[in-house]
Parts: sequence; structure tokens; C-alpha cells
Amino acid sequence: MNRRRAWTAAILALLLPVPACHGDEGRDRAGVTLRMLVPANERPFWLPLAESFSRARPGVSLELEEGPVPTDLRESLTTSALLSGDGAFDLVYLDVTWTPKLAAAGWLRPLDDDFGEGKRAELLPQALAAGIYRGRLYRLPFRTDVGLLYYRADLLAAAGIAPPRTFAQLEETARRLQSPPDRWGFLWQGAQYEGLVCFFLEVLHGHGGFWIEPESLRVGLDRPEAEAALAFLVRARAPGGISPPGVAAYREEETRQLFQGGRAVLLRSWPYVWRLAQREGSAVAGRLGVLPVPTLSGAPGSGTLGGWGLAVARASRHPAEAVAFLRHATSLESQRLFCAPTGFAPARIDAYSDPALLAANPFLAELLPIHASATARPVVARYAQASDVLQRHLTAALAGLETTREALAAAARETRLVLGDSP
Amino acid sequence: MTGSLARRARHERVLLLLPVVLLLALVVGVPALRVVLLGFTRTELADGVVSSWAGLATHARTFADGRFLSALRNTAVFTSLSVSLEVTLGMALALLLDRSFRGRGALRAVVLVPWALPTSVMALAWAWIFHDTFGMANDLLSRLGLIEAPVAWLARPATAMAALVVADAWKTTPFVALILLAGLQAVPSEVLEAARVDGAGSWQRFRRITLPLLVPSLVVATLFRSIQAWGAFDIVYVMTGGGPGGSTETLSLYAFQSWFRYLDFGYGAAIAVQGMLVALLLAAVVVKLASRRETA
Repeated sequence: MNRRRAWTAAILALLLPVPACHGDEGRDRAGVTLRMLVPANERPFWLPLAESFSRARPGVSLELEEGPVPTDLRESLTTSALLSGDGAFDLVYLDVTWTPKLAAAGWLRPLDDDFGEGKRAELLPQALAAGIYRGRLYRLPFRTDVGLLYYRADLLAAAGIAPPRTFAQLEETARRLQSPPDRWGFLWQGAQYEGLVCFFLEVLHGHGGFWIEPESLRVGLDRPEAEAALAFLVRARAPGGISPPGVAAYREEETRQLFQGGRAVLLRSWPYVWRLAQREGSAVAGRLGVLPVPTLSGAPGSGTLGGWGLAVARASRHPAEAVAFLRHATSLESQRLFCAPTGFAPARIDAYSDPALLAANPFLAELLPIHASATARPVVARYAQASDVLQRHLTAALAGLETTREALAAAARETRLVLGDSP
Repeated sequence: MTGSLARRARHERVLLLLPVVLLLALVVGVPALRVVLLGFTRTELADGVVSSWAGLATHARTFADGRFLSALRNTAVFTSLSVSLEVTLGMALALLLDRSFRGRGALRAVVLVPWALPTSVMALAWAWIFHDTFGMANDLLSRLGLIEAPVAWLARPATAMAALVVADAWKTTPFVALILLAGLQAVPSEVLEAARVDGAGSWQRFRRITLPLLVPSLVVATLFRSIQAWGAFDIVYVMTGGGPGGSTETLSLYAFQSWFRYLDFGYGAAIAVQGMLVALLLAAVVVKLASRRETA
């Protein structure tokens, strides 16, 4: 008797958690539900798109899972979801640098047959190209980003200084208008993370150098251009320089808050800053100017291409509907719905001349030419390793642990190792 | 008769334990075993994620990997600094809370607040405290006249590590204090009273009576904290991301990066397993030292 009761208890205890696992099977029967992970702060702006999509395709709905805001956290969540291969997400909202890795792993569905020349021509070519891995299209751009130089137009005008186009002018402007520690000359992202790589690449290209040539996999980090570029960063935050020493721990938000509080003359950042810095209550509202990143020669520099796109998970059980959502999300109307309230830069070319969007965000008109000269980060499957190698040695040089030459020589050597037995 | 009763009771015990054992085997045992096995393979991103048996080759990679060695060193530095700081402060706090004074109950509750906060939340707050421009640390120190120019705490290797240790100590000292407080309350007051009557001073009473009786609690607290600190991930991930220049990267952080960013699953597993082996060794040493002391 007792024994039987014990057995029953044991079996019950094992069975109890099981029914909960099958809870949402029935929901699919009514119609198709697509799932996608989006950052929590963007979800409110995705909801109108989800609604307009299910209006356009009755019976299909889009479920938006709230994910963490930091990119690297969402990268690992996305990775683990795709790795399990159970089709937890039908759609993948992915950063520009994830495409090669996720495509090489075989987790994304090629989209070549779904989107022909006509559709592709509607999108910004640089942003579209970032979705191509080994000749196949895996990702459509949804919103784009590009590195920019913000400057305090009021301060420059008062001092009679023209907006800086070269690195020398930038240093000169920053030095003349700064009064540290209350107001610094130049802010940038120097923490050990992807943002530092984005900024460094702009400086590197501005000095005529390169990081990795995607075709030949040649590494250019131990060339004199790279040393000059890194020397510029190190000089900027050295004592008596134009950037606060803490810049080596700053990410986008720290720099934006300082700049928005009127505590810097120049800022390297992304388009999102414009809208926030022009808001009521910002100390710099109406006092901003924006420029392409500088170069040695003064020709407009090439900002690093960022941005987010959409892909279809290979494990999705509803690929046709997922592709339909990609088409829907990259329509002019959807881009308007999403970009007008957020201030994000759209991926469609015609969105940059759309009256409704321009009314919401006049700054877009200035962005299009800057986008046209943007540089993508190298399309290699082991991008994350290569980026981490660079991040570690750049921050080591900034912290004075390595000289610029040592840091770049080591970074070049390790990058070649990473790419050496790269697939 | 009694024999069969005892056997039945034993059977029943086994049966009642079975669900828990099975559940633990399922959620802890199987994944752990899988990680150990994965460490003997080469499982990584190629054309798709490919896997092949590698024996000890994946484990051998760590010996030539400067980043692994630096992560091992950082983990050891972080663990030894934070645990010794926490045990010292925890002891002081426990002794304070053991005395009777007005508002002791409330203070005992308040002290636990840091421990109750999610680590990532408090790490974010500490990252702001150590912010060079807006941070409280610089403000306070410059008001006290201890520093002239703001210190970029998280941008320099030594100060970044110090910031991590301070934040970790803030968070986990209450835990140590709680365990030691429980130990203190088990110290018989008659013995202390007798020592006082015999003319022992307060330091002598602490050194000769309280401390020896507290050894089991100290071992438990040190062991728990060492193992936790050895696996530190969230606090580092949020406060420094392992920077600057990898000077605060811990083993857990490196293993995590290998898995989720590099899709180098075999090597990530090897890092985790080797880290675990060192942690087990550490625990064994602590237990051994403590038991020797106790028997001596």
C-alpha cells in the first residue's frame, strides 16, 4: 500500500511539469503565427507593423518577443535559439555583422529566389550587400546606421571656425574650443566592444588603411596607415589630449549624454543621436551640425555601416509567410511607420525623399549621401573573433599596456591566425 | 520481521528520493556530461557546425592560448581579492550585528538588500558609480581631497579590477556576514562569560574562543564565495565586458564568448571544464586545510 503510494507520488512528480510544455500547440491550428525576437525598446514601434501585416494577410500573425536591448545579449539569445533548430523564431532580426556567421552555420534561408532585381534595387546598395554571404542573399536591410561626426555649430560659428574635415582640423578645433574637464573636445566610443571597432575603422579608412580585405583575406593592421590611425586615438586621450581619459570605457550612451549635456564640442556617433539631442530639454537643441567622418585629405570620409535587417530562419515551418513579412517590412509604408516615430534611418532609397518621413526627421536628407559612401565591415564567418582580437589590442594600446606598434603587430598576427583556418 | 520492515523503509526512502535524483540527473547531470564530452571534440563553425572527436587536442589548445592564461590569471586575482575582502568585512559586520543594540532587527534586514538585488542590476549601478565624469566615486574622492583629477576607473586595468572587486564585495559581503552571524550565535555565551571571569580581554576572547568555534562557518562561507567568484560572469560582463585589453576577462566570460560569439563549442567546453577542475581543486584545498585545523 505504502509502496504503491510512493510509486504514485514518484510518477506524479515526474509527470507534473510535462503538460505545461504542450500548452501552445493548439494556437497554430487557427492560423499561422510567426515569431521574432526584437529589443524591448523597439517593440512598441514594431507593433503597428505586425498589425498592418496581419491586416494584409488574414490568418497570419506576428508575435514579437521582447529581448534585451544590448546587442551582444541578443546575439547570444538568437544564437542559442537558432542552435536548438526547433524553429522557435521564424524571423531573425539581425545586426549587419551577424550575417556571415549565421549564414555559414546554415541557420538562415537563402532569399535569392524570393527577392529579384526589382526588389533589391529599392534598397540602399551598401546595406543590401551586407546581407550577401558567398554570393547568396540571406538578409534584407530594414533600418540602417552609419558613423557620423556631430559638432556644436554654435561654438564653431562663434569662434569663426569651419567644420572640421581632416583629422588635423578636428584636433585643432577640439583643442581650441575645449575647456576640460567641463567641456571636452572630442568624444568617441573607446570601450572594449564592437563600437570601438566601428570608430577605429573610420579613422583607419580616413588614413588610407584597411583591416581585412574580404576577397583575399589580406590583413592590413601592421601597415603604417594603421599605426597612424591608432596613434590618433592614443593621442586623443593622452594627458593634455582632446578626449577625456574615461573615453576608453565609453559606449554610445555615455558619449551621447555628455554631448547632449553640452560637455563636448565634437562627437562621433550614429544617426539616432540627432533626434534625442534636438529634443526639448537637451542643452544642445538647435545647436548641432553633422558631417561625414574626417579623412587625412579632407575628402568626405567613409562612415562604418551599421544597421539591422531581417532574415528567415531555416528551421521555420512557415517560410512563405516569413518571406511575405520581409516584403511587407521593407515596403515604403512600413518604413514610414517604423522610422518616423523612432528617428532610425530607413533602408529604402525612396524613403529618403518621402515627404512624411522628411517632415518627421528633416535630417534624413543629409544622411543619404553619407550612406552612399559607407563602408561595411568585412564579410567573414569568423568576424566575431577578428573583431575581438582588434578590440583587445586597441584597448590595450589605449590603456598603455602595449605600444601602438606592439598592439597592431599582435592584432595582425592573431587576425591572420583566426582567418587562416577560416571556412 | 524487523528486517523486512527496515528494508521496506529503505525502499520507500529510495522511491521518494527518486524523482529528485532523476530530475537533478536530467537538468544538471546530462548537460554537465555533455559539456565534458564536448570538450573532447572539435565542434565549431565551418560549413555548418561540424563536429569530430579530438581527444585531448582541444584541451591542449589552452596551453598555447595567451588569452586563456590571462583569463585564468584574472579569475584567480578576482577570486582571491574579492573573497578575502568579503570574509574580512563580513566578519566585522557579523560581529557588529551580533551585539545587541536598538534597531538591530531592522539593520539585519537592511544589510541583506545588496544580496537580494540581481547582480546585473547592481553591476550597472556600479558601472555608473565608477563613471569618470558622472560617477559618485570620483565626486566623493575629489571632495575629500584624495584625488586631484577624475580617475577613469574602468579604463585602466588595475582600477577596473579594483572596481569589480569593490562591487562584488558590496554585493556578497551580506551573504558572508549572514553565515558568520549564524555561526556566532551558536557560540555558547557561558564559555565567553567564563573567559571574561578568568580575566580574558575582548581580543583574547575573540581569538581563542570565537574564532576557533567559527571555523566551520568560515569554511562554508569561503567555499561558497570562492566557487561563486571563480565562476563570475554577470558582474564582469556588465561592468567592463572583460576590458580594457582583456585585463578583466574571466574564464566564464571567455567560455561564453567562445560558445555564443565564435560558435567554437568544443573549445568553449574545454575552457569550462578546465575552469571547473581548478575550482574543484580549490574547494578540496580549502576543505582539507579546514579539517586539518579542526583536528589539530
